[in-house]
Amino acid sequence: MAEQTLNIPQLIAVVLVGFLAIRWFLSPASPNQNASSRNAGRQVNPAHVEQIAQMFPQLDRRAIVWDLLRNGGSLQATTERLLSGRSLDTRQPPTSFQPPIPLSTAPTASTSTTPKPSAAHPDLITRYNLSSKITTPPSTPGASDVTSSSVESKPGWSANRNERAEILKRRREEMVLAARRKMEEKDRKAQSAA
Amino acid sequence: MTSVASKRLFQEYKHLTQDPPEGITAGPVTEDDLFVWEALIEGPEGTPFEGGIFPAELKFPKDYPLMPPTMRFTCDIWHPNDDPNHYEHASERWSPIQSVEKILISVMSMLAEPNDESPANVDAARMWRERRPDFERKVKADVRRALGL
Repeated sequence: MAEQTLNIPQLIAVVLVGFLAIRWFLSPASPNQNASSRNAGRQVNPAHVEQIAQMFPQLDRRAIVWDLLRNGGSLQATTERLLSGRSLDTRQPPTSFQPPIPLSTAPTASTSTTPKPSAAHPDLITRYNLSSKITTPPSTPGASDVTSSSVESKPGWSANRNERAEILKRRREEMVLAARRKMEEKDRKAQSAA
Repeated sequence: MTSVASKRLFQEYKHLTQDPPEGITAGPVTEDDLFVWEALIEGPEGTPFEGGIFPAELKFPKDYPLMPPTMRFTCDIWHPNDDPNHYEHASERWSPIQSVEKILISVMSMLAEPNDESPANVDAARMWRERRPDFERKVKADVRRALGL
């Protein structure tokens, strides 16, 4: 009889061992995190990752997280290294390193990358502030001739540095405007041909 | 050393102003810093880039011309050899007898004839290789947009 059923001390022992086993399996989550955060925050701030990713869109987020982890989560240290021209390549994360890439990055990345190119690279008219200088040639083909001939008398080199800067600026503007005029001309020809 | 580089850059600036190559305008952004230039490159004729103006930024090292400048297009340019973020001028082919003018001319010819062997923009390279009409359409659309049309 005693061999078939468990006596009280045995029962207590089983319960105790079971309890400890369950605790052992369930608890690693919290104490382990504490253990790994001993080198100043194993948790990388997702906002930092996002910030760097926006400054350097060419970088892999995984590499950013890795770099942040290695320098103790210092946004400044990572940024400085990147700005000084050193890439993160030399510190490539091991393939086993698969951090939980912040969920927020997916939506923000898609929203921030689509308008970004246009914001980073406005068209040349906006860039050189030429909207006022765009002649509207459609009805007056003579107007464009006048502007192009007046610019024809472009001076070359000047001994005065301000004049030089002015000349360069004018050459740039004229190059853009001329290209635009040419393109418009082509459009008009295509239209009249059609 | 710096003064050697400055002198040389100033000479090149002067030369490029007095005798500019066809389709190229280049000079320092400001004469306070001769080591940062802005260049405009015209898209070569007979290519989808024709009619386009492509701005780029050139940064010169302090020991120019011993070391080459780096160049980066500051516009959207869809090209197999353009990394959207950085284009480094092939430094292995650099020699001090080269010049800004030669760099810009070689960039221009790169626009005309992409080097398919070392694509920096893999997507653009694939499109260029496999779907040429789409590639040309995209380039032309970018050209027009850059001119504000």
